[in-house]
Amino acid sequence: MAEMRYNVPDNQWPDHPERATLEGKNKQLGFWVFLGGETVLFASLFATYLALENSVPSDDHLLTYDLFQLELAFVMTMFLLTSSLTSVYAVYHMRNNNFAKMQIWLIVTVLLGAGFLALEIYEFSHFVELGHTFRSSAFASAFYFLLGTHGFHVAVGLVWITLLILRNARRGLSVYTAAKVNTAALYWHFIDVVWVFIFSIVYLLGVI
Amino acid sequence: MAATAQKRSAWSVIWDYLTTVDHKKIAILYLMGGGFFFLLGGLEAMLIRIQLAVPNNDFLSAGMFNQVITMHGTTMIFLAAMPLLIAFMNAVVPLQIGARDVAFPFLNALGFWVFFFGGVFLNLSWFLGGAPDAGWTSYASLAIDSPGHGVDFYALGLQITGAGTLMTGINFVTTIITMRAPGMTFMRMPLMTWTTLVAAVLIVFAFPPLTIALFLLIFDRMFGSNFFIVEAGGNTIIWEHFFWIFGHPEVYILILPAFGIFSEIFSIFARKRLFGYSSMVFATVLIGFFGFMVWAHHMFTTGLGATANAIFGVATMAIAIPTGIKIFNWILTIWGGSIKFTTPMLYALAFIPSFTMGGVTGIMLATVPADYQFHDTYFVVAHFHYVIVGGTVFAILAGLHLYWPLMFNTMLNERLGKWTFWLFFTGFHLTFLIQHWLGLWGMPRRVFTYLDGQGYNLANMVSTIGAVLMAVATLILAYNIVMTIVRNERVGKDPWGDGRTLEWSLPLPVPYYNFAQIPLIRGLDAYQIEKEENNGEMIPSEPLDDFHMPNNSFIPFVMSFGLFVTGFGALYFASGKDWAINAVSNMPVHDWALYVLIAGLAITFISMGVRSWKDDLGYYVKKEELERDLAALEEERGAN
Amino acid sequence: MAELNQKPLTDVQLKQRKLERKIEMRHHVTSFSLMIFLTFAAFAMVALELDPLIITAAVIVMALVQVILQFYYFMHMKDKGHGFIRLFMLVGMYFAIAFVLCYVLIVWIGLPIGSV
Repeated sequence: MAEMRYNVPDNQWPDHPERATLEGKNKQLGFWVFLGGETVLFASLFATYLALENSVPSDDHLLTYDLFQLELAFVMTMFLLTSSLTSVYAVYHMRNNNFAKMQIWLIVTVLLGAGFLALEIYEFSHFVELGHTFRSSAFASAFYFLLGTHGFHVAVGLVWITLLILRNARRGLSVYTAAKVNTAALYWHFIDVVWVFIFSIVYLLGVI
Repeated sequence: MAATAQKRSAWSVIWDYLTTVDHKKIAILYLMGGGFFFLLGGLEAMLIRIQLAVPNNDFLSAGMFNQVITMHGTTMIFLAAMPLLIAFMNAVVPLQIGARDVAFPFLNALGFWVFFFGGVFLNLSWFLGGAPDAGWTSYASLAIDSPGHGVDFYALGLQITGAGTLMTGINFVTTIITMRAPGMTFMRMPLMTWTTLVAAVLIVFAFPPLTIALFLLIFDRMFGSNFFIVEAGGNTIIWEHFFWIFGHPEVYILILPAFGIFSEIFSIFARKRLFGYSSMVFATVLIGFFGFMVWAHHMFTTGLGATANAIFGVATMAIAIPTGIKIFNWILTIWGGSIKFTTPMLYALAFIPSFTMGGVTGIMLATVPADYQFHDTYFVVAHFHYVIVGGTVFAILAGLHLYWPLMFNTMLNERLGKWTFWLFFTGFHLTFLIQHWLGLWGMPRRVFTYLDGQGYNLANMVSTIGAVLMAVATLILAYNIVMTIVRNERVGKDPWGDGRTLEWSLPLPVPYYNFAQIPLIRGLDAYQIEKEENNGEMIPSEPLDDFHMPNNSFIPFVMSFGLFVTGFGALYFASGKDWAINAVSNMPVHDWALYVLIAGLAITFISMGVRSWKDDLGYYVKKEELERDLAALEEERGAN
Repeated sequence: MAELNQKPLTDVQLKQRKLERKIEMRHHVTSFSLMIFLTFAAFAMVALELDPLIITAAVIVMALVQVILQFYYFMHMKDKGHGFIRLFMLVGMYFAIAFVLCYVLIVWIGLPIGSV
């Protein structure tokens, strides 16, 4: 049976543990290919949003400049940007063969991501109170579809990283778990990339 | 394995296929699944041609005709042509690049099961209140108004199938990039591998827009959103753009692997190296790239404006250049070759003129002012059947004969194969050539009947007779397949005698681990080089040693089943709700829909969690087993 | 999962490697500060209500810069062995921008390109 070595000494830990095996290499490349597909997926969502931005049936519907609060968007951005940095720290410690610190930084990442998600849910519920719902207009549908898909990705990422933290807690670090952590980190960065476009195109360009 | 001779219970074989992650078995699954849907789509085609054989026919009602044409197109493109091509990709590409499996065997199995459940879901619509009837393009203005759940089946079924195809695309890109044998540089990859790579890249970039478009439709029809509801600010043109941003690359996804199969056939049976290999590669990549820049030529009459139409028209014509390069390269490959007229070669030879005719009418359609005349007539129907049947279906039939020995270790009967070919070839041209004229005379497509005395009678009858010939050809093929399986006459290595690429260097049946030792590749047509220089023995690139193989898993089946269940939950969610669109708001309410939706998603996500939680480390194939297998092969060769 | 055939490193090599990683980490922190700065700048421009055309151009450019930093530094696309990935993402971004532009030009404004 396959031999799996956990917690190897520092001097036997490869420089790029996530790419040390063929499976790891495949995983990394395959995940990038998936992210290429996601790029086009989100481009399609942005295209839909831009095509339907402020397209409402009558004057009594709220538009971008009535709705968006830049303060909240800024705080959310800071949460997600910082969580991107903390996941970089996690990968840094993974490469340094420091399991405990890797876990800590992953936990911090999850907490920041959860903060972002909580703010987004708060914002959505506030919009719904104002009458801006998924079913109220084409603009609202497109808005919730774009941000909802991003939010869904965040939620999936949170569950994913949490599961990784729990499953690896009993196992430790090996080239097998390193590849898993690296993939999750790539995914997390990509979510941040999408958010950069959301705050720029939806929020900032929506209110000028 | 040497142990295949021993009897196995039927259940253990079925269980093996339900859990397999072996690309060769998944290829067989794809072949069976795609073949089943191909017959189903063919049956629908026959219904269409029977209805149109005579004027004022009432064989099918108008509503039923709409369902049949919609399902014919959808089934043939998504559930027959693509899976059949993926079957050959799975069967051939890993062997051709010298890999022991694809990069993600688990994902490969998942891709198949997701495709399968999506296809079943779509076709269950026939029994659950009627099939989709808005055409295979399902334009939003029609789809939103279509009463009942037909279009819901379309949207959800394709969403599920599309997810499976996307996984396969990612898998093949990764496999071809990382798993090539030592020495197999990019410019030594056989054309089948190259076209698979480009088609896989197209899948990765083309399917996400379809995913989004289908979600827009799903949300509008099942969850009360307003993307296409014009009264609420929606815009139906959004669907058309997304559908064709996906749809045009899709036809290249269908034709590029076909080009790959034909390139292999020409070079094997002309017994010559492929002419202009590097220009072939260049043309393949260029076609793939241009494929994304021309989608609006399907929408010239929507009113994009003269500038946009001109840009897209010219870009479309530009694709004729790389395609022309390919046609001439094939002709020059045959030129001066010592040709063997086998069944695959007959298809390949017939493909050149047939496909070229489809290409030429494509250029006519790309001419914007003329397109206003051709639009929505039988001319368009003739055009795309010439490229898809004359290109892709010919390639599938040719590939079936060519790769049958590689997949099943027996040969299809050549005599019956040639009968199939001649009947199919004649029937195909009889059916579709005349439709060019029907279109020019003004017969519109997608209309369920026509009046007597308009001059359409004879041409339609000819077309139907052609379709009957194609059906007879298909039946002969089915008979051929059954008889070949019953006779079970085993063939040995390199059954065609002129194999040039790596897959033909393997013993038949191919061992489950493909290569005991990964070979060293010394040039294009790797096996041919060793035939000339090393007596047909591949040079190993590694010592005989243990290697690693993936475990079987039942999780792909469960995960896909979860999506299938989810589909039903979503489908009935809007039934009878007051916020729903008119098409479904007067249907009976199904309170259980939401719970089914949640249960289905739970099945899928929990199986994903289980997959991530467990260590799946695979197992090792031991050196002793390999030595035993190699000794058995040596003995067999000595006996012959 | 193939086992690891890693030859043990000497202490000097190990030290060297840790140093390299530390330097890389410094790059990460630098690019993070740059991202924060760009975000601030983008929000500030909107808050100061500058000319919409300038804001639009600047915000999009700054977003693209942030994305490049994410891809190349945080996601290690600048590392060796990422050649195909770079090509692939470049093509993906090209298609993505083409689609969005198309929607802005021929769906959103509602006027055909020719008449703008």
